[in-house]
Amino acid sequence: MKPWLRYSICILLGLAGGTVYAVHQVRGADMGRQVTNGPWSANTDQGTADASALTRARVALFGLLALPAKEAMYFIARTDSEGKPLDGRCIYTVNGGELDARWWSITLYKGEGWLVKNEANRWSVGGNAPERDANGNWSFTVSPQSVDGVWLPTGRTPQFDLTLRTYHPKGALLNDPAKAKLPTIKRETCA
Amino acid sequence: MIRKWLLPLLAGLAAAAIAWHGTLVATPYVLMSAAMKRIGNADGNGRANVFAFGPMATADRQPIVRPSPDLVYSSCVFDLSQGGVLVDVEPVPEHYWSISIFDARTDVAAVRSDRDTGGKTARLALLRKGQKAPAGYEAVELGYDRGIALIRILLSDPAEFEQIDAIRRKSKCRTVSAKLLEK
Repeated sequence: MKPWLRYSICILLGLAGGTVYAVHQVRGADMGRQVTNGPWSANTDQGTADASALTRARVALFGLLALPAKEAMYFIARTDSEGKPLDGRCIYTVNGGELDARWWSITLYKGEGWLVKNEANRWSVGGNAPERDANGNWSFTVSPQSVDGVWLPTGRTPQFDLTLRTYHPKGALLNDPAKAKLPTIKRETCA
Repeated sequence: MIRKWLLPLLAGLAAAAIAWHGTLVATPYVLMSAAMKRIGNADGNGRANVFAFGPMATADRQPIVRPSPDLVYSSCVFDLSQGGVLVDVEPVPEHYWSISIFDARTDVAAVRSDRDTGGKTARLALLRKGQKAPAGYEAVELGYDRGIALIRILLSDPAEFEQIDAIRRKSKCRTVSAKLLEK
């Protein structure tokens, strides 16, 4: 084999391999996993010049136009609190207490981050929706069909994620998100 | 045999590293460019330096990935190639609102919310290096000509949309001649 052919083969394979690996890396994770807390993962340098090329690419794919951390912290869960992937045919209870932010919401997405069609035309639960008990704790249900109380429909999508948005976060939520007290996601039953 | 392939293999590894890094670096520009095209046409105007006041996101209307169904978005695709762009954001009392300026690489050049302005109007001048903001405007220097200015307004109830929509339409995104921005 002639030398130019050897070089051509190796360089073409290298270019293809490098591109495929980069695409795999970008698609293979959420907005970044710099911080994990139970089932939640978050990125703390999105939108900043400090972000790595990989983080910037991931954020562009999974959360384009995301705000920087001091304005909003975004936490994404693709599993329940036991580590099982979230499944739209199952029923989950999301439990939490007061979050140290001006406002929060939890939104259900599929794929890279798309709202799911459902009969109730509901895609999120805002922080003002669930009732609080005497200790300030709240809960709501994520399920394929309507239930009593605050309900977030899955639209029966096979896999989904929950995105917790916290605007104007403070305290641990902003400064030490790995240790902040975040909601739990408990799988109840599956159809 | 091995010696014959050693240098080509090293060249292949170098090509892989270049392709890997090039793909990562290019991804935000490509996705941002696609978003600018889509958002700029969100209300059919298709023009730069004008706010598009989009409807609330639903499963059938998702102009960008991971939209929040609790927020009302207004976007201005800006282009500084002919001069600066002035952005005036009408405040919405007792609601969270913010204006964020994203450059072509997806980096945030500035964010101002009602917390920062004390509930007053936010006035930003989007400029290239060496330009000066007009009186009353805060300078935001950008490293790229193009990007997106995005207003977010939080609704506590979707029924508020009509009232909020009337307020947000007073926000302006407009060009200003480069001559007026000379230092």
